[in-house]
Amino acid sequence: MSRNRVTVVISQAQGKNPLRRALEESLAATLLMEPGVDLSIVPHLYDLEEGHTGRLFLNSVSGDMIVLGWLFPRAGFWLLDRMGVKGLEGSSPMHPVAEDDGEEAGEADPQEKAPAIGQTGDIPDRTITLLDLRAKPGYEPYLEEVRRLIGESKARREAQVSVRPPVLVELGLPKPAPVIDLTTLASAPAARRWYPVIDYSRCTNCMQCLDFCLFGVYGVDGGERILVESQDNCKKGCPACSRVCPEQAIMFPEYKTPAIAGAPVGVVTGLKIDLSKLFGGGDPSVTAAAERDRELVKDGRDAVGLTVGMAPRRAPRAPTVPDELDGLVDALDKLEI
Amino acid sequence: MIEDKVFEIGKHRAPLPGGLLYATTNHVWARQVGNAGSQIWQFGFTSYALALMRDIYFLDWSLSDGLPVDHLALIGHIETSKAESDLYAPVSGTIVRFNEKALADPAIINADGYGAGWLYEIQCTNAPSHLVDVDAYLSHLHATWANTERMIKGGMNRIVDESPDEGEA
Repeated sequence: MSRNRVTVVISQAQGKNPLRRALEESLAATLLMEPGVDLSIVPHLYDLEEGHTGRLFLNSVSGDMIVLGWLFPRAGFWLLDRMGVKGLEGSSPMHPVAEDDGEEAGEADPQEKAPAIGQTGDIPDRTITLLDLRAKPGYEPYLEEVRRLIGESKARREAQVSVRPPVLVELGLPKPAPVIDLTTLASAPAARRWYPVIDYSRCTNCMQCLDFCLFGVYGVDGGERILVESQDNCKKGCPACSRVCPEQAIMFPEYKTPAIAGAPVGVVTGLKIDLSKLFGGGDPSVTAAAERDRELVKDGRDAVGLTVGMAPRRAPRAPTVPDELDGLVDALDKLEI
Repeated sequence: MIEDKVFEIGKHRAPLPGGLLYATTNHVWARQVGNAGSQIWQFGFTSYALALMRDIYFLDWSLSDGLPVDHLALIGHIETSKAESDLYAPVSGTIVRFNEKALADPAIINADGYGAGWLYEIQCTNAPSHLVDVDAYLSHLHATWANTERMIKGGMNRIVDESPDEGEA
């Protein structure tokens, strides 16, 4: 029965890169034969619009899920969450989450930081693990990792069964399993899309993105929680709101810069200093304003530069940090360019 | 021949060869390669940049060779043990080639930053006029060090003071 099996999903690359297709095919061929695996192939998660058969399928899966795709695991996990495919985020040694060497940990002052929103709604007790197909060459490491994760999943289920009290089983009312034709799924075309994905484990609901974006992409839900409301208003290629987010909670999975595409924050930027400014980069807010202006002008509207939506509604960090940053920005601005 | 210089970061000594030119906004050195008329310049991180970044884990170029770049255009990304940064073109021109060896094993950049650990070569139309000599680069480092130090200490505390064994050799 499907509840004793693990669903493995291959989320295909956008475009027709032959190397990527070849890896997907080798993986699919081996995973089809793998015991304990229900294999499915869907288009790129980012492109699955509402009502797409691939998305309906993902919504129908209730057990543990392993998703292999061409994006950072953090971006993939929150994309699924956004589609209503919720669960606990699984981790894999293929993707170290935070390189905590223990030195910096003591210095952080968690009290000064606004709390993140976190996942909302009912979070089913199952694990969703994302594997980034760009992490290793060849299909073998993925096969090995899928096997390891399946072993983990099985152990977890057995542990749960042993502690669970006996339940009344309703006989005679089997829930029909969804009938999915893999070949249809794989071939269902998905148009490319472009919109931000919010990592609610980082988002503090500061509303800076709502103020900054002048295209009405963001909105709030009934509980005043920020959400990507009108994703089709988003301007293709423009990652500006991601740059102004003080918590690096906004991801554009297809953007070229890892920090914006959803690279793990703990590893890349959380504990490390960003030297981009020292090495010739501009102020991110200036870059963001320029990107926004370009889209405004394309729409026949007036450029607004840094005059609209740049001030934070709520200071997200300890008061000393903005002071230092201000000083740094001033100081670096004095450097010749 | 211009003398080699050294910039001292705490106990760490960052050597700056006298025979090179430097791009102060990118902290890369430049050396003309090929014949004098070709205006092909080789670039690499200065020992100062490497001292701030420490061990390079990952280097990625966002464009392929043969393509034109503008001065300060985004060309790549670097991740090291203590920092991460976008990388920007130090001059306008055409990227002739990237150092494949450094891309495959960034450790050679830390090991031999002024030699085998070079980064890329750019062909310029004219001699890049904003590159400066070692004395000007050294004064630039002295002039900006207080601010840079403040920035670094805001982000991580031990890059300078707690590295007793480095740079002594």
